[in-house]
Amino acid sequence: MNRIKVLLENLRRGVVTEQYPFKPIRVPERLRGKPVIDPDKCAGCGACVNACPPNALTMRDDKHSSMRFIVLFIGRCIYCGKCEEACPFGAIRLTREFELAAENREDLYQVVGLRLYHCPLCGEPFTTVRLIKRVVEALPEEQRAAATLCPRCRESVTAHYRSYARR
Amino acid sequence: MRSSGINQVRPRNKYELMIDLRRFGEPRLRGKYLFLSRIKSGRLRDLVDYLHWRLGGYYSTSIGVDERPLDGYFHVYHVFVLEEYGVYVLVDLIADPGHPVVESITPVVPAANWAEREIMDFIGVKFRGHPEPHRLILPDDWPENVYPLRKDYPYDDKLPTSDKIAKLVRESSPATWEPEAPGDHTVIPVGPYHPALHEPEYFELFVEGEKIVDARYKGFMVHRGIEKIAESRLSYNQVSFIAERICGICGFTHSTAYCQAVEEAAGIDVPERAEYIRSILLEIERIHSHFLWMGVAFHLLGYDTGFMIMWRLRESIMDLAEELTGSRKMYGANIVGGIRDKWDIRDDKAALIKRMLDEIREEYLKYIPKIISLEEIKKRTRGVGVLSRSDARKYSVLGPHARASGIKTDVRKYRPYAAYKYVNVEIPVLDDGDIYARMIVRHEEILASIDLIHRLLDNIPKTPLHADTSYIPERRHGIGCTEAPRGEDLHFVITGRDNKLYRWRPRAPTYNNLLSVPAMLRGEYLADAPIIIASIDPCFSCTDHVVVVDLRSGRRRPLRTRGVVGGR
Repeated sequence: MNRIKVLLENLRRGVVTEQYPFKPIRVPERLRGKPVIDPDKCAGCGACVNACPPNALTMRDDKHSSMRFIVLFIGRCIYCGKCEEACPFGAIRLTREFELAAENREDLYQVVGLRLYHCPLCGEPFTTVRLIKRVVEALPEEQRAAATLCPRCRESVTAHYRSYARR
Repeated sequence: MRSSGINQVRPRNKYELMIDLRRFGEPRLRGKYLFLSRIKSGRLRDLVDYLHWRLGGYYSTSIGVDERPLDGYFHVYHVFVLEEYGVYVLVDLIADPGHPVVESITPVVPAANWAEREIMDFIGVKFRGHPEPHRLILPDDWPENVYPLRKDYPYDDKLPTSDKIAKLVRESSPATWEPEAPGDHTVIPVGPYHPALHEPEYFELFVEGEKIVDARYKGFMVHRGIEKIAESRLSYNQVSFIAERICGICGFTHSTAYCQAVEEAAGIDVPERAEYIRSILLEIERIHSHFLWMGVAFHLLGYDTGFMIMWRLRESIMDLAEELTGSRKMYGANIVGGIRDKWDIRDDKAALIKRMLDEIREEYLKYIPKIISLEEIKKRTRGVGVLSRSDARKYSVLGPHARASGIKTDVRKYRPYAAYKYVNVEIPVLDDGDIYARMIVRHEEILASIDLIHRLLDNIPKTPLHADTSYIPERRHGIGCTEAPRGEDLHFVITGRDNKLYRWRPRAPTYNNLLSVPAMLRGEYLADAPIIIASIDPCFSCTDHVVVVDLRSGRRRPLRTRGVVGGR
């Protein structure tokens, strides 16, 4: 008897399956989907690269072309949103896009290229042009000159100030 | 010389316990942890017997740690849970690096069998007097004397390439172990995939006609080496994500246990609101897991209507989780010290949870009384796969599995964590010990969890969501325990330097529960084997978490010489 009652209950319930993929499916507002980098906002600081647990985000400096590449590989991404939290410029965020199957592996990459900034003293690249611009803009006038040097040159240039200070 | 302790007065609290344990070694009490080091020679088994069988505690797990860089020794920690005293007793054994041998406790507590063998595989500490000192996790063609969890073994070592392995195998002769079949019986392999759970496992059933006379389990086929990765490469806050990925069903409970372990070690107080949110998400996870189990159980019993109904209900829970966290399963909410900001449950979400849970409960109650009173279900589950109370104690089984065998245990009630400190948790306990009892326990837990979420949502306080975690001291031990849907989930950590763990060991409940399966299978019909195995709600991914390497080619001899019906 119970068996029939269960079946009747099921009949009353009607169809519960959805027509997806033939009809679009409801996506919750908070869904953590594919991360996307906004190349206009990204300054190549690498905060997201440090935060990313599965190394989906990597950073590579190419001295020949004098470019820094931030590479996002969706194939490794776990959609945790750490990058979004870490980014100081709001350049990377998770979208609600979830249909990520691709025919080519290359389609799973997003690469942002930024011009490298070379230290005016020693000529070594150490950050990106865009990041140094933003840093300089944020600093008070008297600190700007030192900020444009690479960490090592900055140390040697400011060393004598410090030695005076100690006396 | 005093007698073995039978006539002694039972200690009343943890301080008396500490004094009492001076008979065996040097106790040191730090908060919830009672370290017992320098065990007097020859007293180890008496001690274990006393803790596990006389004091009402139970053996939880053992952890091997290579502490040579710190103090020059290998350490083995046997963790005993004494809920009555509110302490974890960590029996700290030291093994000399030149001759790493300690005494085995498996003869006294059979539940320690696997944990000790795991330490033999990974750390290379041998256990004197272990009944089956064979490899458990590492594959048979792994070279001798290479122990992946030792600190001098690099995590990105390229050792397991074919040439190197072949060389090492040639140089040493790895011990192979062929379990002998009990008598002259037919061997029926179940696996390498479970018929319903779609996870790698391998049972060998020895049958006589239709009756199972013995069973053996070989597992650990999906080792992923995450302990090594966490200790070598990941920072504290990154580990909680890999911890969540230990399991595809109870992931959040793993990440919570991990975070609690680090918080315990570092002495971080988690804000109340974060505790409430953790508890709510944990209960949502429990409901979904139990629905999933019910569905699988009905499917194995041949009642697919029930399977479909349960999984449909589960789908609503998954939708709820997705609505709250942005993902069906990987909630990603935990960080050390609390909950991430975006995962806050505000009033509108609270209302949504309540509404959806009420709908689910109503729907569930329409079906479930009819389903569990079906004659077919009763006949297939009552008196089948019985695990007696004493066997349950022997194997230290946990969670609903233990509660169905009459053992009152629940981390939420007896060692409350997160927001379970503030609410009363009701735990159903049945004495039958059969599959039906396990089903009823889980059924009651679903309803209790729904009630619990309602109460938690009513009392959720307004505090910040995470604490300051900028300072995590070095070389502190911490244990994080949660009541996963399958039982106590224990994470052990030792903090390290450079924002990294020194040692992390997760122990999933199935690790203990699986050991009891052969005991349940003995004497049952072959046709009942799948449901008996499934009745503990085994989670093989959880159990296997630790294995380190995948050996691709490199094999010079077959991994198993027997394994298909009739042998090869």
